[in-house]
Amino acid sequence: MHLRVFVEVENLGKAMNALTDSGITGFYVLEYKGMSPQDWKGFSIKEDPKSAISMIRDYATDAVLVCSVVEEEAVDGIVESVSKALEGEKYTILEVPIRRIIVNYGDQEKAERAETWFLEKEVPCFYCGEKAIQRIRIDTNKAKIWCNNCGAARYYTIKGAE
Amino acid sequence: MAADTWNLKKSASCFRCGDATIHDIEVDTYSLKIICRDCGFTRYYKFDMVNIP
Repeated sequence: MHLRVFVEVENLGKAMNALTDSGITGFYVLEYKGMSPQDWKGFSIKEDPKSAISMIRDYATDAVLVCSVVEEEAVDGIVESVSKALEGEKYTILEVPIRRIIVNYGDQEKAERAETWFLEKEVPCFYCGEKAIQRIRIDTNKAKIWCNNCGAARYYTIKGAE
Repeated sequence: MAADTWNLKKSASCFRCGDATIHDIEVDTYSLKIICRDCGFTRYYKFDMVNIP
């Protein structure tokens, strides 16, 4: 089941904690601006783009959609948990059945090899001159070295490989 | 800018040969180099920018 929980921004933390406590294992979050049917009722806007955009800026509410794929038998428990945590707050929950899921993990072996490396070296900082831990982060395509004392950072980018 | 070259080591799986082995990491002011001790595969990084708080 695809569970979609629409909440106002200020209730995101409550919703996330309730979802986590009730056992969701993964999720994605979308920020959006929206208007509920009650707020929208009676509105009529001019059709030029400026009016439409200013209407969204002025009247629509900042909200968040938290989505998760969960086992069907877990849905009732999750909904109960979210409803309890958001009692008195505005929220909407959609339960959408899933016909099938296709997941491609890509080149998993290559992805595992491309992990980020973290190293440290204690030397005088190139900027503040203090002998301090210099942290080094190396990714596949970039690297960063920063001083733990003053925060000065040097950035490197991949040039090539052979 | 730092003048001395730093020589560091990291045990990791090589990006090319996949073997778990030691990688030598050489860091100087304008470049960073990572060499797999097993197959010699080398990644070169060049200095891009500095951010001073």
